Amino acid sequence: MSAGNILVWIVWFTAAAGCIGSALAVVALRNALFSALALIGNLVSLAVFYLLLSAEFVAAAQVLIYAGAVMVMFLFVIAYVGWDLDIAWTGGPSWQTLGGIVAAAALLAELVVVIVLGAANDLKHSNKIAVDFGDPASIGRVFLSNHLLAFEVISIVLLVAAIGGVILGAQRRRERSGGIR
Amino acid sequence: MTLPLAHMLIVAPKREVWWIGAIEALVILNALLLTFAFMTLIERKVLGRLQLRYGPNRAGPFGIIQPFADLIKLVRKAPFQPDRLIHPALYLGAPVLSATMAFLAFSVIPWGGGWELYGYQIDGQVVNVPISLVVVFAIGSISTYGVLIGGWVSESKFALLGAMRTGAQLVSYEVALALSVLGVVLMARSLSLTEIVAAQHRTIWYVVPQIVGFGCFAIAGVAEVGRAPFDLPEAEQELVAGYHTEFSGMRWGLFQIAEYVHMITVSALMVTLFFGGWLFPVLHRFGPIWFVLKLAIVLFCFIWARASLPRLRYDQLMNLGWKVLLPIATVNAVATAFFVVLR
Repeated sequence: MSAGNILVWIVWFTAAAGCIGSALAVVALRNALFSALALIGNLVSLAVFYLLLSAEFVAAAQVLIYAGAVMVMFLFVIAYVGWDLDIAWTGGPSWQTLGGIVAAAALLAELVVVIVLGAANDLKHSNKIAVDFGDPASIGRVFLSNHLLAFEVISIVLLVAAIGGVILGAQRRRERSGGIR
Repeated sequence: MTLPLAHMLIVAPKREVWWIGAIEALVILNALLLTFAFMTLIERKVLGRLQLRYGPNRAGPFGIIQPFADLIKLVRKAPFQPDRLIHPALYLGAPVLSATMAFLAFSVIPWGGGWELYGYQIDGQVVNVPISLVVVFAIGSISTYGVLIGGWVSESKFALLGAMRTGAQLVSYEVALALSVLGVVLMARSLSLTEIVAAQHRTIWYVVPQIVGFGCFAIAGVAEVGRAPFDLPEAEQELVAGYHTEFSGMRWGLFQIAEYVHMITVSALMVTLFFGGWLFPVLHRFGPIWFVLKLAIVLFCFIWARASLPRLRYDQLMNLGWKVLLPIATVNAVATAFFVVLR
């Protein structure tokens, strides 16, 4: 085992431990602020995995968009609502708990099946990736050819979200100004 | 060697040896600290001159050892902290995170063309990654948390308001900032800062064709650093000192370092993207010297803006970001894409 491989394993184990630990912390911690911070840790350790899979651009985009922009919004809302209330979650309706457990179990089963089936053939070829794998140009090419429909549908979803945000904001302003339409 | 990261770290061809990179990192780190120290002096000097007074001139000739006097004072100062602090770890971690991320972002900025010395390859930047521009933005977005968390754990209304303003301001202007560099990326057809400099060597400094993008970048860049006229996060007349109200001594010093290094990084990015980086029509071998000269001019403009422009009101800030800069940057990016495809 060469020095490079040992280094990679150390990085991998650190990221894996960070990923699982922070994911548990997100649901286990009572303080919403700490949950959000743990979620940032989770997203960053996922980015390390992308880096190990030689998808550098995806890793940087993950940090930039999810760990950076999206989580700032989370923290923003938590700060406005009051993050130090420390009100423990007393549990939602029982069907929600049941649904959550079923969904998590289904996801786990799915992952196990994929890994067991894939480990036999596909997952062994980590050394046979192309030179341009994961660089922005090839990602863009895939988006605009094989996955064009999904790409365009996502853009519509985002447009709907943006327009919805504008409408909600405008409505509140109208109410504040005494119902002038 | 099977795994890709190992390839990246160890056996990549034409890479400098790891210890040369480590030495470079050490040199750059100290150069940044030194630049920070003297930026505080130069800023006070230039501000003084622009306001028809002398500025600091007592410590040493022309006040030149003022930064060291400031440093000794900061280090020796008793670190006060709010006694109703609930999360001391976050309180101490916030300035550390801010400063670390600020230094980290500079590591991908190219300041020279690379040299070969005694058979060793020496790169013109600490690390050379193919997507360095995205890396700078990613690290910059993480450094926001230092300010946000620092503002909240202080248990003070002023600090909280400062942190909230920071969050809103940085998120708003990050969009415009990212869109304003899209034109440069499209023209250079690369996200690598080294490649962008090389592309400007082949054609022309991008400030000429991308003058609109440059304008957006300059304004959004100042807002992103949070300096006057966009210093709402700390606005001393309204918020005492904003997010770092409850920090003192070297803890406050770390926030200050983060702010100045962030300013240096944004200036370096501006030089790299729009003014040819370390390039100059003559004497390419002295790349770092040209780079530092250009950097100094941009930094002077930062101080100049602080001395001459009044602070924006909060609604003006939001209007400028979302209703002026964002549309202009978007139109600029689309128009550039159009011309790049046509050519």
